[in-house]
Amino acid sequence: MKHIDCKNYTYLDCEKGMCALTKMMLPIDGKGSDACPKFVMAPKCGCCTHFKDPDSHGLGTCEGFEKPNWAYASCGAGSCEYFEMRDER
Amino acid sequence: MTNEDKLNELLKQHGIEMEEDKYSALENIPQKAEGCEKLMEIYYTLKNTVDMEYPYWYNRVWQENDGDITIVRRAKAMAAALSHLTPTIQPYERLVMNKTRNVRGAFPFPWVTASFFNAQAEALMAEADAPAESEADAVSIVGDGGGNVTKSYGNIISIAKKFGMRKEEIPVLVRVSKPWDGNSVEELSNKYAQYTPDYALEQNIMESVLCMFDSYCIPQGREVMNYYLPLQYGWDGIIELCNQRITETMGEADSDGILGMGRGYYYVAMKILAQGMSKWCQNYADRAHYLASIETDPAFKKNYEDIEAVMSHIAHKAPSTFRQALQLTLCCHYGVVNEDPQSGQSIGRLGQVLQPFYEKDIADGITTEEEVIELLEFYRIKITSIECFASAGVTGGVLSGNTFNNLSLGGLNRDGLTAVTPLEYLIIEAGMRCRTTQPTLSILYDEKTPEDFLMKAASCTKLGMGYPAWMNNQDGINFMMLNYGPEGMNLQDARAWCLGGCLESSPGCFLPLNYNGKTYWIPGGAGPTAGSGVHFVGLPKVLELVLTNGYDHRMKRQILPAHNKELDSLETIQNEWVNYLKMIINALNKVNNLQMDIWRKHCMPIVNSLLKPDCFTKGRDLGMMGGRYNATINFESCGTITFINSLASLYKNVFKDKKYTLEEMLDAMLHNFGFKTSYETGVFSPDFREATDLAGKYEQIFADCINAPKFGNADWEADQFLKWYEDTMFDLTRSYESYYGKPLYMCQISVSTHGPQGFVTLADAAGRLAGTTYSDGSVSAAAGTDKNGIYAIFQSATVYDHGTQQNAQMNLKLHPSAVKGIQGTRKLLDIVRSYMRKGGFHVQFNIVDSNTLRAAQAKPENYRDLMVRVAGFTQYWCEIGKPIQDEVIYRTEYDN
Repeated sequence: MKHIDCKNYTYLDCEKGMCALTKMMLPIDGKGSDACPKFVMAPKCGCCTHFKDPDSHGLGTCEGFEKPNWAYASCGAGSCEYFEMRDER
Repeated sequence: MTNEDKLNELLKQHGIEMEEDKYSALENIPQKAEGCEKLMEIYYTLKNTVDMEYPYWYNRVWQENDGDITIVRRAKAMAAALSHLTPTIQPYERLVMNKTRNVRGAFPFPWVTASFFNAQAEALMAEADAPAESEADAVSIVGDGGGNVTKSYGNIISIAKKFGMRKEEIPVLVRVSKPWDGNSVEELSNKYAQYTPDYALEQNIMESVLCMFDSYCIPQGREVMNYYLPLQYGWDGIIELCNQRITETMGEADSDGILGMGRGYYYVAMKILAQGMSKWCQNYADRAHYLASIETDPAFKKNYEDIEAVMSHIAHKAPSTFRQALQLTLCCHYGVVNEDPQSGQSIGRLGQVLQPFYEKDIADGITTEEEVIELLEFYRIKITSIECFASAGVTGGVLSGNTFNNLSLGGLNRDGLTAVTPLEYLIIEAGMRCRTTQPTLSILYDEKTPEDFLMKAASCTKLGMGYPAWMNNQDGINFMMLNYGPEGMNLQDARAWCLGGCLESSPGCFLPLNYNGKTYWIPGGAGPTAGSGVHFVGLPKVLELVLTNGYDHRMKRQILPAHNKELDSLETIQNEWVNYLKMIINALNKVNNLQMDIWRKHCMPIVNSLLKPDCFTKGRDLGMMGGRYNATINFESCGTITFINSLASLYKNVFKDKKYTLEEMLDAMLHNFGFKTSYETGVFSPDFREATDLAGKYEQIFADCINAPKFGNADWEADQFLKWYEDTMFDLTRSYESYYGKPLYMCQISVSTHGPQGFVTLADAAGRLAGTTYSDGSVSAAAGTDKNGIYAIFQSATVYDHGTQQNAQMNLKLHPSAVKGIQGTRKLLDIVRSYMRKGGFHVQFNIVDSNTLRAAQAKPENYRDLMVRVAGFTQYWCEIGKPIQDEVIYRTEYDN
């Protein structure tokens, strides 16, 4: 897992974000981008139970709403009324 | 001991104490708040970033509501987009919300323009699929120029030469853009523009860069926000009002067979929007709640809890404190700038709007002046972070990356007395402590403005950030009455004017805010965009085409139809210039009208149609003239003084002294007076000349052109042409109608267009070389040509009535030594006052040493926070293009 997938990650720009716990800058790519032990999965379409059949680009189908529609895995879903975290166990 | 020190000593001996100058040097100014310091440290590292959350949700909900009433469908799409954005809260922030989840975030609007993304879909996908060159490359390559991402690197794709987009979002961009293929405002207006009789001419004009850009590129902005409704009622109150109005109007035409039935749909749309805005605020409250729950540091935890309380409150209710009110205005601002590609969505007279809240909090002991200054510092950072996604030409060539969120101060209140409030002093103080590019500040100078306020503002201008700029309040009021009088504007409303965008005088009105048991008449914008007409016609280029019979030697094409006139007098040249300009405006205006008409039918403003009076009263959106005043659409010019100086030289050298024939003059111009062009040298400054073998041949004519009378020296031989030009243009522009059926008028700002439009223009008769930047603004002297001092420029600039046009722009550059100490502050204010009393509309200052700018150009990495005033806006030096940098360096520097 990467920092950018963590609930404690604060978006800054296309290169980096910030950890809400440590207040440290976190790169999205490369060295130092892997998540720490305090990782908490961020709500994104890609980890929602309603997100189905993603292709190689992360485009899949959202079945959470009345009308199914395409969606993309990296889209933030913390504000989505139908988001349900997928159980990864 | 300096003369000032000696004077002070002498006065002291006689028992007279001079006023202390707290702000004579930067080091005397209190530091910005610690949190602001931290945020700015982060800001300087940030890249402009586009992501797809907003476009995804907009597109999804729009498509799912196919067939619904357009305004309702658009409100649903916007409400969904806003309420699904990921809320980002940085640890040090006290004010929250952003355009997107990224701090300097923006996003494309395929429903406005999609052709580029669709045409480039395959190429974009190929970039997305390409692996990063290496891990090291993926993390170590940084784009040049502050936050600009000018080239792709690692997993980041450069878009519009300014923004970075992560590779994984490219397929989303391509997929979101696809349904808009052929349906975007851009493509629909292109389709119908082809029916206009001069379409081919219009295409020539755009391709030759005679005109800089199309209206659809930034259909909103250059206007003033109005925060009244949410401040008075809150989102829940607005929803309740919508419910009432829906009941009253749905199914009722109310004697208006055309627009009456639309009211019901309008109120449904506004209700949906208000619900979306409310949810958006609540999402930030929820995020703050989560952050507080994991925070162990008591100070951070308290800050998150405060944010949660503020955001929970304004998600539903009208604000009851200053902080809540300020946060709510910020929310509205973000809401508006997220509904279209925009620049110049101005804040307006915020210090007057929020004074009631400030006054009560201070009286109740809820806050202190210092806490308010701190919040206003945080506010500056939020506004500085607003970015606009548009094409590279618009973003860089026109806007220099700025979004022109102007905050006006001063002027008169509804009763004709000074409108200056105690809060406005603090706004200036915050601008002095937290020196950021935005919001730029504008003083509406009036003879009734308190002297200590003017001194405070002058102290701020002295610091060299380029703000506040100074505008003539009486000129503004006169223009309002002249332009909006036919729509019923009275003197009270005229007093509510202020700047939309950098310098676009915009109509306003006062509305009664009932708060704390009192009624306060607060000002705000009352019309749609005061721009978006014909955008930036290069006046010198038109003159060039007159002399070349319509043939563009740069493009090697006939651009305008040959006039085939014998140019045997200056009057003939002037007449042909007017004829060409009429032809150009006629062709451009029709196409721009179509663009804006299609925009208002397909992409009408939603947030702005809630906020702007009298939309909510009428039940009509801003695009359909719901605003109180609608004669707002303008014609924008560029290169005024370059053009005037050319006429003066032609008059002197060809027709008066008859030293050269017109053919000889044209020959010299076409050969660039024997110098290399700026295309060849890469230097755009007018003072850089590199000779070719032909230099000797043109040496004398070049000298005569350089020595011809120039504007800015109180020399009527040159200034008469400005008078002729302004009088001519007043009538000419008003003979064309906007899509609102109202006359156009003159907007005279150059923004950054004097760079690219200078680039496409040959050498001229005044000795300006090919490709070099035009003169900036509209009444700034051409760099290096003003030899008689500042007051001579003022004399030249005021040969016509500035109150007849939307604006007139003057930039001056002073060496810091010229305004040193409190005497320098007084001197600066005297300069401003002198110009205002002569009727000048606007003056702004760069107070900087040119050597500093040269050093910054050589080593930009050492000057990340250096700001300069360009033309109506302040921008980070490292984020503006070289042609404009060269022009700013070369501006005449007054040091005495």
